[in-house]
Order: sequence, then C-alpha cells, then structure tokens
Amino acid sequence: MTRSTSGLDAPDVTTAALYLSGVPHDRFTRMRSQPGLTWHPYESSGFWAVTRHGDVKEASKRSDVFSSGLGHTNLWDLQPDALEARRSILDTDPPDHTRLRRLVSKAFTPRAIRRWEDLTRQITEELLDEYLAAGGGDWVAMVAAPLPIRVILTILGVPVDDADYLVEISNYLVEGTSDQPSLAADAYGNTTELRLLPFGSPASHALYQYGERMGEQRRAEPRDDMVTMLVQAEDDGDRLSHNEYRNFFHALVFAGNETTRTAMTHGAMALADNPGEWQRVLNDPALIETGVEEVLRWSTPVLHMRRTAAVDTELAGTAIAAGDKVVMWYVSANRDETVFEDPFRFDIGRVDNPHQAFGGGGPHFCLGAFLARMEVTVLMEEMQKRNMVLEPNGSAVHAPSNFVHGILSVELGASRA
Amino acid sequence: MPEDELVPMAIDDDLCIGVGQCELLEPEVFRLDDDEGRAHLINDGRLPRDRAETVVDKCPSGAISIRPTT
Repeated sequence: MTRSTSGLDAPDVTTAALYLSGVPHDRFTRMRSQPGLTWHPYESSGFWAVTRHGDVKEASKRSDVFSSGLGHTNLWDLQPDALEARRSILDTDPPDHTRLRRLVSKAFTPRAIRRWEDLTRQITEELLDEYLAAGGGDWVAMVAAPLPIRVILTILGVPVDDADYLVEISNYLVEGTSDQPSLAADAYGNTTELRLLPFGSPASHALYQYGERMGEQRRAEPRDDMVTMLVQAEDDGDRLSHNEYRNFFHALVFAGNETTRTAMTHGAMALADNPGEWQRVLNDPALIETGVEEVLRWSTPVLHMRRTAAVDTELAGTAIAAGDKVVMWYVSANRDETVFEDPFRFDIGRVDNPHQAFGGGGPHFCLGAFLARMEVTVLMEEMQKRNMVLEPNGSAVHAPSNFVHGILSVELGASRA
Repeated sequence: MPEDELVPMAIDDDLCIGVGQCELLEPEVFRLDDDEGRAHLINDGRLPRDRAETVVDKCPSGAISIRPTT
C-alpha cells in the first residue's frame, strides 16, 4: 500500500517498552513539526498519527467521519465477533453512543459530582494523614490508587472493601495493553478465549463476573446507586443489552480508577520535582484551580485513542482512505508548542490551558471529567491545608503500555513545610 | 453591535451528551434534565454575546450554538 508520506520522519511510538522510561516526547515533537500526518506501520497494516492539538480537536469533533464503532478504539484490530463481545461505550457511534451516554450522564454532571465531594475529602484526609505520618512511601499504593477507586465504587454502589481486589484487576488490565502480559490464560478461572475479552486479559473475565454478581444482587435488592440504575435499564428491554451492561460496568470501574490514579501520581511527581511551583500554591491556594488543569495536561492519563475512517477523507492536508486507522495522540497534543507556551514546563499557574486530557471534544469527551477534576482539586486542597511538601525519593516504575500513562509505583518523601 | 447585546442560544439535541458544562457556566440559562441526560434552555435562553461565545466554545460535544437571528 502506498502512503503519501515518503520523506516524513515516522518514528516508532508503539513499542510498549519505549514507555518504560516515560513518553518518547522527542519523537512526538519531531512528528508535530512536520506537515500533515505520518503513517506508522503496525500489525499487518498501519495507522495515521495525529499529533497536533488542532488536528486532534478536528478529528474528535468529526465523529461521523472518524468512527469509534467501525473498528476498535485501541490500536490493534479485532475480529468482528471479538469487537462485538468487547464493545463498550467507547467503541460506539451515535445513536447507540448517545443512548448509552445519556443513561449515565446525569451521574457525572458538575451538579451531581458535588454530592461526592465530602466523601472524597474524608477519604483524602485519612490517606494523607497516614502518608504524612509515615514520612511518605509509595504514593501509588498509599494515596493515588486507593483514593479514586473508593470514590467510584461508592458511586457504583460496589462494596468499598473490594477496592484492593479491583485495583489488582485494573493493574492486570493495564498489563494487557503491554507486549508481555504475565497472567495465565486461565487465571481467575477464565475459560473464555482471550481475544474476546477487553485488553485480551483474563482479568476482564474476573471483572465481568464481578459485575454480573453485583448486578444480580441489586436486581434482587435495589438501592440508590449506579449498578441498580444500569440493571433496571437492562430490564426495561431496549435501553441496555446484557452485553452492554457488563462492558459498561467494566469500563466504569477501570476508567473510574486507573486514569485518575495516573493523574494524581504524575501530579505528585511534578510537585516533588518542582517545589517552587508547589510553594506558589502554599502561598496562594487560589492557584489550585489552574494547578488542577496543569496536572491534567501534564499527566495525560490516556495517551491516545484510535478512530477508523468511515469514508475517504482528509485531515491536516493528508488524504485518508475509508477504513484507515487514525490515532489521536493526546499526549502529544498536550505538548503542542503552538498552543501551550513553554509546554515542557510544569506551570501551576498556567492560564491558557485548553488541554486534551479528557479528549479533543465531541461525543466521547471523558464521562468522568468533572469527577476527576473534583478528586484532584480535593487532593490539592487537603495537601495545601496540611502545608504538605513532597520530595523525590527514587525513580518511578512506568507501566509498559503505549495506551495509558500508568505509573506502577513511585517512592516520595512527605513532610510538613 | 454592542458588547452586552443579548443573543439567543440553541442546543442540538442529537449532539448533546449531558456533560453539564453549560449548566456549570450559566445556570440561569441551561439546565440538565436528569431523566433525559441532556441540557435544555430555561428562562429566555439568552446571554450576553461574550458569555454566549464562551459557552459555545466550552461545550465539549459542540452541541451549543448562538441561534442566528434574521
């Protein structure tokens, strides 16, 4: 297949091992500086890389052309039966997407999220006090992982006692996006072909089963929670199929904890590495508002999403054929030097910050955006109230993934300034 | 045109996914319907032009526009 990109520098940005030492930003910077899109061989074909802020925004909004439902929204291709089995709200187009989104959107509006702020603060206070008392430690295990999982489980109506188990499952799901997953195919009693499971991981079988159990419990004994609402929608007939239910549950648990954990971890590392920036917040807590957005830009928890061209089209002057894969690299767009002044500087007071940590807009704009914002805000507020300072104390262990910006563990020191 | 001119807003029901950004910015003009999971205009649905443009720009799904008047 001939692609009109001869002469352009299209470096490897997909080998998961590249990400063990962090995002290969130098490669994305080179890609952004060239005209048009670059074509990257991948599996038996390849994909167009969208690396500039404006192009990501355009591709996100033209969701009729750049489809989420035609192919998978991850890089790799799936056979049609696997795509159907694994299809979540992420892999749908309107009108199915709109139907699914409106089922749950009311629970994630800014107004609805306020309901969870007190609980989030209570969890945060407890975790930060323990972390301070210990003088620091693994930030991921002690703060960033337990905080968002407890909140999303409460919203779903799932026992918070299961948080550790569901964090473990989430970690295996991240690992499923790497080159070398460690779980045996029959882990968690799985008997399903791996290709039919999200992230090709037996951990997805475990999460499906868990979701089914929760659904049955709420069906028998309804409560005021999201699982109840979802099973009632399923029982209504045409609002939610059973396969949609289990993939929705899967997506809410995974996206509701892993991404925010990542934001909180990159944020904490940035605060430890840039003590002058955190000092600005200690002096003036009003800077938390811009600080939260800068943490989101800096962390970009989801590195990319993929779309599939529904028709022959054009983006950034590059001709795209129907069926081509188009990959929007949010992590690159969030360092676009034509949009962000001094993009590689962590600036806690950054004012003009139209980051794409929640995507580039359009129908798939992050469902949990305001939940994540609230959680990161509360975390920074409680750190500020404690006059808490972090310092580097060892290197971070990065997830071997080109899809999520995960940090598996990082030692930080913590004290009161 | 004067800066404080009031302009009528419009919501595309096919595009609205009920994010709630509009209600957060302009609670006197936009209201999320919790049963339908989408936004509606309330009161007279008008805003000063500069604030109208901000809401249009901030709506993640691109569902909000300024209704053309002829």
